[in-house]
Amino acid sequence: MIEIRFHGRGGQGAVTASRLIAEAVAKEGKYAQAIPMYGTERRGAPVTAYVRIDDRPVRRRDLVHEPDIVIVIDPILSKKPSVAAGIKSGGLLLLNYPKPPEEVEIGGDFMVSTVDATTIALETLGRPITNTAVLGAFSRVTGIAKLESLEEAILKRFPGEIGKRNVEALRRAYEEVHPPKPAKGPLRPGEEEPPHVTGYGVLKSVADWRVFRPVVDLEKCVSCRLCWIYCPETAISLVDEKPVIDYDKCKGCGICVHECPVKAIEFVREAV
Amino acid sequence: MERLTIKDIPLEEYTITPGSACQGCGPALAARLVFKALGNKVIRHGVPSCPDSVTATPRTFSVFESAGAALTGVSRALKILGRDDVMAVGFIGDGGTYDIGFQALSAAAERNENILWFCKNNEAYMNTGIQRSSATPLYAWTTTTQVGPRGRGKETPRKNLPFIIAAHHVPYVATASIAFPTDLIGKVLHAKKLKGFRYIDILCPCPTGWRFDPSRTIEVARLAVQTGMWALYEIIDGREFRLTYKPKKLKPVEEYLKIQGRFRHLTDREIEEIQRMVDENWERLLKLDEMGEFPL
Amino acid sequence: MTIEVMVGNKAAATAAKLSRVQVAVAFPVTPQTTIVEYLNEFITKGEMDCEFINVEGELSAQVVVQAASRVGARTFCCTSGPGCLYMHHPMHDTSSLRLPVVMAVVHRGNKGMQPDHTDLMSHIMTGWIQWYVENNQEVLDSIIMAYRVAEDMRVRIPIAVGYDGYILSYTAEPVDVPEQEEVDDFLPPYKPMPSLMPEDFDPKSPMWWRVPWEEHHKIIVNAKEVIKEVNEEFGKRFGRSYGNGLVEEYRCEDAEAVIVAMGTIASTARDAIDNLRAEGKPVGLVKLKCLVPFPYEDFQRIGSEVRAIGMIDRNVCLGVGGVGHTFIRNAIYDLEERPKVLGFHAGLAGKEVKVSDIERMAEKVLKAARGESVSPLVEWV
Repeated sequence: MIEIRFHGRGGQGAVTASRLIAEAVAKEGKYAQAIPMYGTERRGAPVTAYVRIDDRPVRRRDLVHEPDIVIVIDPILSKKPSVAAGIKSGGLLLLNYPKPPEEVEIGGDFMVSTVDATTIALETLGRPITNTAVLGAFSRVTGIAKLESLEEAILKRFPGEIGKRNVEALRRAYEEVHPPKPAKGPLRPGEEEPPHVTGYGVLKSVADWRVFRPVVDLEKCVSCRLCWIYCPETAISLVDEKPVIDYDKCKGCGICVHECPVKAIEFVREAV
Repeated sequence: MERLTIKDIPLEEYTITPGSACQGCGPALAARLVFKALGNKVIRHGVPSCPDSVTATPRTFSVFESAGAALTGVSRALKILGRDDVMAVGFIGDGGTYDIGFQALSAAAERNENILWFCKNNEAYMNTGIQRSSATPLYAWTTTTQVGPRGRGKETPRKNLPFIIAAHHVPYVATASIAFPTDLIGKVLHAKKLKGFRYIDILCPCPTGWRFDPSRTIEVARLAVQTGMWALYEIIDGREFRLTYKPKKLKPVEEYLKIQGRFRHLTDREIEEIQRMVDENWERLLKLDEMGEFPL
Repeated sequence: MTIEVMVGNKAAATAAKLSRVQVAVAFPVTPQTTIVEYLNEFITKGEMDCEFINVEGELSAQVVVQAASRVGARTFCCTSGPGCLYMHHPMHDTSSLRLPVVMAVVHRGNKGMQPDHTDLMSHIMTGWIQWYVENNQEVLDSIIMAYRVAEDMRVRIPIAVGYDGYILSYTAEPVDVPEQEEVDDFLPPYKPMPSLMPEDFDPKSPMWWRVPWEEHHKIIVNAKEVIKEVNEEFGKRFGRSYGNGLVEEYRCEDAEAVIVAMGTIASTARDAIDNLRAEGKPVGLVKLKCLVPFPYEDFQRIGSEVRAIGMIDRNVCLGVGGVGHTFIRNAIYDLEERPKVLGFHAGLAGKEVKVSDIERMAEKVLKAARGESVSPLVEWV
């Protein structure tokens, strides 16, 4: 049995990716189980999904705690050592990360492979929905699901133009993925639980929810207070009538960027 | 309502952030704006719904169908305990208001319970994953009003709940929008000073459920008002009617519909049908506004 | 102390008044309706300082008392049969939130207007303490005691006091009404836990709070000791108590067999037992008052003292059996020498249960105790 754990953020399609793998390997005559870790996931919040693949029906109903493969479809989460928690000796960590495996900071008794799925997604889909791109890398690196089976599963789920563009993302990642190298980075998973946000309440920081960050040009700002009043998370406070952004509270929704009447707030892709 | 400018909006915040709502969540902003105006001498009641914003207020919760009853219990207990300084406030979704909570809501309104009820209206059950409610507008796609050879989205227009509540002869009913914070806060400040049953229905776009980019939440909310899809008004004592936002000319509804994935499937004829509906409704509202009377 | 001839529903309303209930809620349903009317009368006359809410249905009634109790008011609610069933959903939360709501359930079965215990017993899994009482005096006394138990910090669990519709609700008999000062002395004012007032707000308090299952179960099990204490103290102050608060044994000394009954059947059974004892037949009566938490220990003791037990169930858990019968058999299983346990379904849908019916049942149980074969082991009377 092969066990896979996905990490992503609500809206990037981690749950869909787990389903697509299950559907693809089922076409190849295998048995599979795709499990979304259910809570009350929100767009932008870290989420988890699991896949089990076997030659016989999968019966166990517990969650995956010692995965053979961990796939992280979000570049910010790809920097968190805790995503590698529990990974089996000799296992694989596949990251959406814009740098080669040698530059990954996470290390341990497993292999690491990277693909810049966000760039691929932005160029093919126009949106940072990275799941299908990461699947192309997964197919190439593991050989567990054939590219054709994944294409078929994608086109069935997303008919028409959207499906075609997702297949393009899949194929590009298949070509561009960096092959696995031993994970030599200095950071170890430690005791921390893998990232997962569910339920209701107040969070410490939502900095890792962002793909883009709003940056204020104080020169252009006319102190109209609109960005301040429209921020759902009170991430913007006024200091001398000028907006100051608390990046632990900013989810990167972009409302302030969109509403600024003088275009004084720019949306900048988060550095990885 | 009280008239204010953006500079009059209190700087104090009563939400504890960041919360667990989606990026660009309309209801999260609605909670922030409402409690800025209310302050924290409040017992806030909730029923199952999406998270919006946690507030620095005591909270009660009860089963989905029961907000009207629970708020009655809170309000009456406060009365018998002599705590008139504390308000019983409901912050309830459209499911808990328009649908499963409607019976208890209507009963509490008819008894004129001393309650402030805010409906954070995102026009569908979002917490369970975008199922239609009776606040869902005509032809909107949801996961239970799908689009295909045998479906064009929701088959009927939404129910006019603010008018239904006004027909209970309660002291104050208003509609509001998160894109118009001075109008919204002005209404909350006014309602806060009254006693009895007060209802404010706040349209709060949901990027996840309405299918638009989270950065456009305010734009969508604004267009809803500018096109007449969501008119801003207040009804006092079930008798006086006043539009609080009255543009010379409404924008075409197409501008509002086109930017949302839930209306992506609409044909020109369907858009025209919605336009006709909105125009007729707007004419009616203008007449009511001119008379200054709610005809019930 | 005043003796007043009153119906069961007036006894319930009077108990609410004496308990200084602050928020009372009900939706009228036969045979509970006159409680609502009596409360309205007390409040209108100015005898009772209470917010009474005429809600639009029982589900709302339950939620109103739940919320008011959470804020800090002493609350009372009452219902019957269908209304009792309609309340099911929020009743779970009233218990999970550990709110000391007291509710009178004027029994009405689920197949018509007439009484049986299927209404309240449908709520066995809601986490409410359930008492079944036998006369109007016990209605009044038990409601007062219920507040004392429910509000005890070791308990903080809602209590339903059930009594048979018609048989008690509309039947008048003398009731000894305690003085207000005596009740005030017995029942201190209610304080909510924790406070819900804005000045006490703690941002770290959880958004959703329900007591976890294991703790919840244990609190209810442990409430048995508090019920016994309160029953004993009530006896000392008012000169009346009800067995040990959980069960009451009537003429069980040297009994070879006992019958077990609940509610008004227990009252009628006292006459049957007297008649049989007069004939020299060693049978006794155990009145089962507290169904939840179930008095396992009492039945283990009784089970080790007699050779047969006959449970008269005014209920049926369809496809399973009598609730009391099932629980008693469960209780005695661990005894080395187990008595026989016979079952009787009697009085369902208000079917009359006569003294002679109970005599016959008791004689059957005595036969079984003496080793004679009896059949069937569970019987519909």
